Amino acid sequence: MSTPEQISAIVHSVNASRPAEQHVSYLGATPFGQGIRLDRFSLPNGLMVLIEVDASAPVVSLQTWMRVGSRFEKPGKTGISHLFEHLMFGETEEHAHGAFDRMLEEAGGDTNAATFLDWTYYHQNLPRDAVPLGLRLEAVRLHKLVLREQQVASEKEVVANERRQRVDDDVDGAVSEILYREAYKEHAYGIPTIGWMEDIQGFTPEDCLDFYRTYYAPNNATLVLVGDVDLESILGVIADQFGPLLRSEIPPEDVHPEPPQVEERRVVVEKPTMTDRLAIGFKGPSLGDFDHAPLVILNEILFGGRSSRLHRRLVKELELATEVRGWVGTFRDPSLYDIGLVAREGVTSAQLEVIFDEEIEKVRATPVTVEELDRAKSRLELATLQSLEAVSGRAETIGFYETVLGEPGALFTKLDAYRRVSVSDALRVARRFLSKSARTVIEVHPSPEADDDEGDDASEEVAA
Amino acid sequence: MKLFVEASKKIPIVSIAVGFRSGSTFDPEGKEGLARMTARMLRRGCDGLDADEIEDTIDRLGGEFGADASPSASTAHAEVIARQIDPFLDLAQKLLGAPTFPEIELGRLAREAQAELIESRESDRTLAARAFRRTLFVNHPYGRRVAGSLASLEAIGRADVDSFYRAHYTKKNAVVAISGDVSDKGAHEMAERLLSRLSEGTLVTDKVPEARPAAGRRLVIVDKPERTQTQMVVGWLGTHPEDEDHIAWLVGNTTFGGTFTSRLMQEIRAKRGWSYGASSRVGFDRHRDAFTMWTAPSAVDAPACLALEIELLSQVRKEGLSQEEVDFTKSYLSRSHAFEIDTPRKRVHQPFEEALYDLPSGYHTGYLARVRDVSREAVNAALTRRMPEGDLVVAVVATDADSGAPLREALAGSSATVVPYDLE
Repeated sequence: MSTPEQISAIVHSVNASRPAEQHVSYLGATPFGQGIRLDRFSLPNGLMVLIEVDASAPVVSLQTWMRVGSRFEKPGKTGISHLFEHLMFGETEEHAHGAFDRMLEEAGGDTNAATFLDWTYYHQNLPRDAVPLGLRLEAVRLHKLVLREQQVASEKEVVANERRQRVDDDVDGAVSEILYREAYKEHAYGIPTIGWMEDIQGFTPEDCLDFYRTYYAPNNATLVLVGDVDLESILGVIADQFGPLLRSEIPPEDVHPEPPQVEERRVVVEKPTMTDRLAIGFKGPSLGDFDHAPLVILNEILFGGRSSRLHRRLVKELELATEVRGWVGTFRDPSLYDIGLVAREGVTSAQLEVIFDEEIEKVRATPVTVEELDRAKSRLELATLQSLEAVSGRAETIGFYETVLGEPGALFTKLDAYRRVSVSDALRVARRFLSKSARTVIEVHPSPEADDDEGDDASEEVAA
Repeated sequence: MKLFVEASKKIPIVSIAVGFRSGSTFDPEGKEGLARMTARMLRRGCDGLDADEIEDTIDRLGGEFGADASPSASTAHAEVIARQIDPFLDLAQKLLGAPTFPEIELGRLAREAQAELIESRESDRTLAARAFRRTLFVNHPYGRRVAGSLASLEAIGRADVDSFYRAHYTKKNAVVAISGDVSDKGAHEMAERLLSRLSEGTLVTDKVPEARPAAGRRLVIVDKPERTQTQMVVGWLGTHPEDEDHIAWLVGNTTFGGTFTSRLMQEIRAKRGWSYGASSRVGFDRHRDAFTMWTAPSAVDAPACLALEIELLSQVRKEGLSQEEVDFTKSYLSRSHAFEIDTPRKRVHQPFEEALYDLPSGYHTGYLARVRDVSREAVNAALTRRMPEGDLVVAVVATDADSGAPLREALAGSSATVVPYDLE
C-alpha cells in the first residue's frame, strides 16, 4: 500500500505532463475497514474519484455514481432518470449504437446500471487490462451521447416491458408502488422510480436531452475504482479522458419535505393473487439520522431470519404467514420502514395485523433482551463482511455512501454504530417511529376470478 | 470425503460447502420433495438442541447455515465470522451428523413447504419454468418437482427422512469445500470435525436415464388471469458434460443468447423493445438438462416474439455463426474468465462442483484451453445438431382468453394444451 507521500508524488508525476484543467488533486485517504484504504482525488471540473487498490485478483470494478434519481422528478415526467439510464448504453459521437456493450464484452467486461430514489449508478466489471477502455467509453458517454428518435422509442418499449414485469404483473411490485404513493404525499419519494406508464410512453428525445444536459456533468458524479490498478497509469487515463468534460450548473433541487404524518392511512386493494398480504410503511429516519442504526437493529430483532420475533410467531408458531420481511429504507431524506407480510392460504390480512400489532406494542412497551440485541449485531456484522468479498460489492458500498451521505467509508461507521446500540436505543426508536398514526397500511385481497375490465385503480378503496 | 481448500486472509469470514452426491432424483414415487425436506430438516433439531436453540446459536455466532437439494445433489452452505469458527463447527458438526428430525418440526416444515408452493404461483417465471420442465421431461426424474407437491409433502414421514439421510449423508458420498480466513492445515482439521459424526456409507451412484422426449413441437399455455405480459420459455434438451460438442455448444449458445450483445438480446430487446430480458441457457449437471430461451414480451407482442425466436433458431442452424461472431465470443469467454475465480469462494467452487457432479477431470482447469481450441465449424455443427427447431417445447404464462389463439397460430402445427396456473 502506498503512503500518502508516495501518492502525492504519483499525482505530481501525472500532472507534470498535462495542462492545468486536467490536473488531479489528491484529497487524502479515508479508512475503509481493517487493512483497506480508500484514496480520494478530484479534477478541476469537480469530478470526484475514489480508488481502492487491491491486487489480489486481476479484476477491477469501475462505477460511476450520479447524484440524480427519481427524487428529482416531477408529476407528468416520472421515470426519466431510469429511462435515461437505459439510454446511456446507446450511440455517442464516437461510437455507433451497441458499440459500448460490444467493445466491453469483447474485452471480457460486463456492464449494467441501476436507478433509485437518490442515485443512478453505472458499473463495469473489467479484467485489469480493459480498464483504460472502460474509462474512455465512460467519459465519452458522459458528454457525447447522441439521442435519436428511434432509439428513444425502442428503449421506452423496453422500459414499459420492464414495468409490466416488475410492477403491473407482479403483486409485490404493484403493492410497493401503492405503499410509497400513499406514504409520501409531498416528497418525490412517492414517485415510482420506474415511472408511471403514461409518463414513460410520453417522453421525447428533447426531454431526455434536457435531463442529460442538466444532471450529467462531472461535478455531479463520483468515479469509483476498486481492484488491480496501477495508480499512476490509471490517474493519467482519468485525467486525459475526464479532464476535458465541462462542469455545469446543477439547479437547486426543488425538494418538498414530507410533512409529519398524523393519522394512519389505509388502502384496500384487490389483486390477482392467491393469498392476502399486508404492506405497512412507518415513517422512518433518514440514512444519516442517529436513530437509523438502532432502528436497523430493531428490524433485525423483529424480522431478521428465523430466530426473529415475527418469523417465529407468524410463520413458525401460529402458521399464519408464508413470509415476513422488514427493511429500513436507506434514503437521504426521511425513509420508510417498509414491512411486508404474506398470509397463508385461508388466512386473512386482519389476522396477520392483530399479531403484528401485538408484537409492535411489545417492543414499544418493554425493552428487548440483550441476547436479541447481540444476535442482531452479529447478523449485521456478517452481512457487512459478506458485502466486501468481491470488488464490485466494495465499489458499490463506497459509491452508495459517498453519494447519499458524502462519506464513502460510512459502512464501517454504521457497523460501529450497530455495535453501540443499547436496549434503551431500541426502546427509544420503537416509540419514536412505530406509532400507528405514522403508518400507511395496504391490505391486499385476492380479486374475484370474474372479469374485471375496470383496471386496478377501480379496485382500490382508500380509508383515511 | 473429498476436500478442497482456498485460503485467503482478506476478509475475516470462513465459507463452508458440504455436498452429498445425491438429490431429488432419489425421491420415491409419490414422495417428491423428500431430498429437499431432508436437507431443510437438518436445522430443525439436533443432538442437544431444538430448532429455536439452533436458530439462536447460528445468529449469535454471526453465522449462516442453509441446506437444500437439487436433482443431483444435496448441499449445505455455511458461513461465519472467522473468530467464531470454533463454536460454529461444534454446531455444524451436530447439524450434519446428529440431526434428530423431530416429528413436530417435520409437520411444521411440510405445512410451510406447502404454503410456499401455493405462494410460488405468484411467480410467472416459476410457473413457466415448471410447465416447460413437466412437458420436456415427462416420465423422467428431471420433470418431477424438487419442491414436491401438496400431496407428496403430506405423504413424507419421519422414517422417510431418516432413511434418506442415512443412505446419502455419509462420508463416502461427501465433497467439502472450505474457503476464506483459514489455513490449509486448519481446513483439513475442520473438515474432519464437520463430518466426524457421519457414517462411512458408500459412494452413491444415480441412475438417471437419458431423457427421450417425444419429437415435435408442443405448446403449453399456463392460463392466469389479468396478464398484461407473458413469461415464455422455449427449448429442448441441453448438453452433457461428456458430449464431444459440449464446449462448442456452450460457445455457440453464448453468441446466440448468452450475453447482452447476443443475437437474441439484439433482435428482441435492442431492435424491437419487445422484452426487458432475452437470453438462452444450456443446462447440465451430472446429466443432460435443458436448452432454454427466456423472454417476457407483453401479451400483444408475445406471438410475434415467439415466431421471431423460432426464426432466429432456424437461421442459426441453417447459416451458422460467422467467424467474427465465434472469435468475439471466444475473446469474451477467455477474458471474462478472471471473474470466475476472483474470490476464494468462487475459486474453491470449481473443483468442488467438478467432484460433486462427476464432471470430466480438469473440466475447469482445462476450460480456457478448450474454448480457445474450438473452431467455428465445431460450433456450427453443435448448433445444428443440438437445436432441432422441429422439436421444441414452448411454455407460456398468459391469459388464454386474450393471448391463447394468436400463440397457437404462431406455433402452427404443434400440439397445444392449456393448464390452470394452480395446477401444482
